[in-house]
Amino acid sequence: MSAKRKRPGPASDSVVTEHEKMVHEVIRSKKDMGASQWEMKREINVADNIITKCIKSLLSKNLIKEVKSIQNRGRKHYMSAEFEPSSEITGGAWYVEGSLDTEFINVLKEQCWRKIYGMKVATLEGIADALKRSNVSQIELSKQQVEEIVNALVLDNQVMEVKSTGTGEFASIPVGKVCYKCIGKRGYGGEPKLGALASIPCGVCPQISRCTPDGIISPITCAYYQKWLDF
Amino acid sequence: MATQYGIKCAVNLITAHFGDLVAKVCECLLRKGPLTLQATVRFTELTSSQVKNCLLVLIQHNCVQAFTLEQSVEHGDAAKANTQYIALFDNIIHRWRFSKFLNIVSQNLDKQCVDLLEALLQHGRLTLKQMSDRAKSGQNEGDDVILDAVQEAIIKLLNAHFIERCPASEPVLTNPTKQELAARKRAAKSAKIVQEQETLEQRVVEAAAPSEALRFLLVTQTELAADGGKDEIDSSIVTPGEKRKRDALESETEYGAADEQVVLWRANFEEFIRHLRHKACIENVKTRLDDGAVTVLKAMMEATRSTEKKVKTENSVPLSLSSIYEEVIKSEEGRNITFDRVRASLIQLSCPPFVKADNESYSIDFKKIIELAQNEEAESIVLKRYGKDAYRMFRLLSNSGHLLETDKIADATFVEKKETPKILYKLWKDDYLQMEKLQVTGAKRLQQFLLWKVNKNILREHVLDEMFHAALNLSQRVAFESEQEKEMLNIPKDKLRDRLRKVALLLGSSQMKLDDAIMLFHDF
Repeated sequence: MSAKRKRPGPASDSVVTEHEKMVHEVIRSKKDMGASQWEMKREINVADNIITKCIKSLLSKNLIKEVKSIQNRGRKHYMSAEFEPSSEITGGAWYVEGSLDTEFINVLKEQCWRKIYGMKVATLEGIADALKRSNVSQIELSKQQVEEIVNALVLDNQVMEVKSTGTGEFASIPVGKVCYKCIGKRGYGGEPKLGALASIPCGVCPQISRCTPDGIISPITCAYYQKWLDF
Repeated sequence: MATQYGIKCAVNLITAHFGDLVAKVCECLLRKGPLTLQATVRFTELTSSQVKNCLLVLIQHNCVQAFTLEQSVEHGDAAKANTQYIALFDNIIHRWRFSKFLNIVSQNLDKQCVDLLEALLQHGRLTLKQMSDRAKSGQNEGDDVILDAVQEAIIKLLNAHFIERCPASEPVLTNPTKQELAARKRAAKSAKIVQEQETLEQRVVEAAAPSEALRFLLVTQTELAADGGKDEIDSSIVTPGEKRKRDALESETEYGAADEQVVLWRANFEEFIRHLRHKACIENVKTRLDDGAVTVLKAMMEATRSTEKKVKTENSVPLSLSSIYEEVIKSEEGRNITFDRVRASLIQLSCPPFVKADNESYSIDFKKIIELAQNEEAESIVLKRYGKDAYRMFRLLSNSGHLLETDKIADATFVEKKETPKILYKLWKDDYLQMEKLQVTGAKRLQQFLLWKVNKNILREHVLDEMFHAALNLSQRVAFESEQEKEMLNIPKDKLRDRLRKVALLLGSSQMKLDDAIMLFHDF
């Protein structure tokens, strides 16, 4: 028997286990939503340091796991081992470790646009098939996910949503079916035409509401104007 | 309805063209609405004679219209008619577009017409004699030759509807009937005062306008002199299908040759704005579709232009495929276009729906083209001022047309849920979005949701006001730079002069471009 190892007595053992059980029960009751330490304190009236100890112990025993929640990124979130975090916690398919997987989304968007460009006119199914065949994504994308990406391209004004007329370029698509076309004559990522107001300093100025003809902020004193006219 | 900065721009223009006194009277009418002479004197604190002179200048230049409201007779009193004066905001703002109007005429007609229009724009309104005298002063030829040339130019301008007879000096507005008042009240519930004033300005302008038969008609001296005007009258009436009401004409022209000489003529701003509206529609379609589609659209506009009753026509008169083809092949660009290509272009033009098809008839959806252009302008501001994420959110809300909750917006635009409210708040604070709070009692606690929306009408007014603000800023900067230039003239620094030239070019072209955008939101 090692003199260094101090074995806890039987009485203290059962107290810790008892609390661990309570904490685990609270966490388990939250199923795929999990619970933060703050929520656990609300449910079982036990001192913070005991809860912390229990969490540590349960983690080491692999009875619970830590998960990232997009709702309360500051607080740590725990879940019983047998559950998978719900999309409300993870944020859904597009979230990784509690943050948006922007890189993945951008790659998908560009690939999607290129498929639509190649097909001239594309239906959602057509785009989904093309993406699958090109193995852009290691995980299989659902039709809904493809739709979300395509809709984001519409919002970027890179792609427009149209209804098939059944003739001309829509010949192979049933009449009335929603399909997508690339917009205009610019490549991927090209910005839309600059508007008249947006092409002068006033159009992009965050202070326009405070700018007055004779005020401290005026077209005569304006630093943005000075820069714009600095030939 | 003039926005706050719209009024400031108008006042700035009048100050630059006619001085402070005239601008003071003009501003008073713009801010207070129609006033009598006495009321204007009271508000401006100028003398009666000063106000009268200012009003005369403003009326001469079509910036103010006098009118009388018919008063009902009560308790045996004699009916009183007090002359009121109303500022015509649109006509004031048109003053900074005169170069665009002259450009339209120079592209369509000869130099004599351009000179004539320039004179009318400079002087506001002129009689035939005044126009001839002006032409004589610069020529060595005989009076008759000049008069003929001037008349010829006037007829060309009238045929194209670029000039018109001036309106009546003081029309009488009849009181609306009880039914009309009730209908107006129902329609204008949300913006009562604004609606009423707009209606009054429109009513005044309508009441003052000459009849369509007379508006573009020049009765020449030779025709009037012969047989008391009952002979064939020189037809400068161009509008097809309009019945010539000779009796009505005679009653209006019963005065004879002498009175015809004092008829005043002025530029017809409406026709110029129509031309610019068509041009803007074509420019917009050009950025999206190929040359064939643009040529077809142009042809449709040419064919239906004269049937447009008002500038803000929503749809053109329907045309058959063969009529469109006939019009297309008349133009230089369309000479070699085949019938099938025209048909294919019409299909192209249906997506987005610039042209609507209905039973083999096609009509241009002007309203749609203008709306799309307005959306693009507003979206461009959002993109440059607030960034790509805000741009996506704005487009989502603009396209959906109804309230959306914060998280839904975050999901659809692929923006972090924590960042989304910050961006939406910024847009809301600057009046680009509307916001509503929704409280829902959940299982354990009260939850608050924020809902967001783009209100197109409010947005349009707000963007227009920002545009007027920017236009005023540009004018101020132009004046400032020109002051700088005056001080630099004595210093022979080529580089500096070069810089000033570039500055003048940039500011000038920006003003023109911004004015196109103002017309897009206000006049088209």
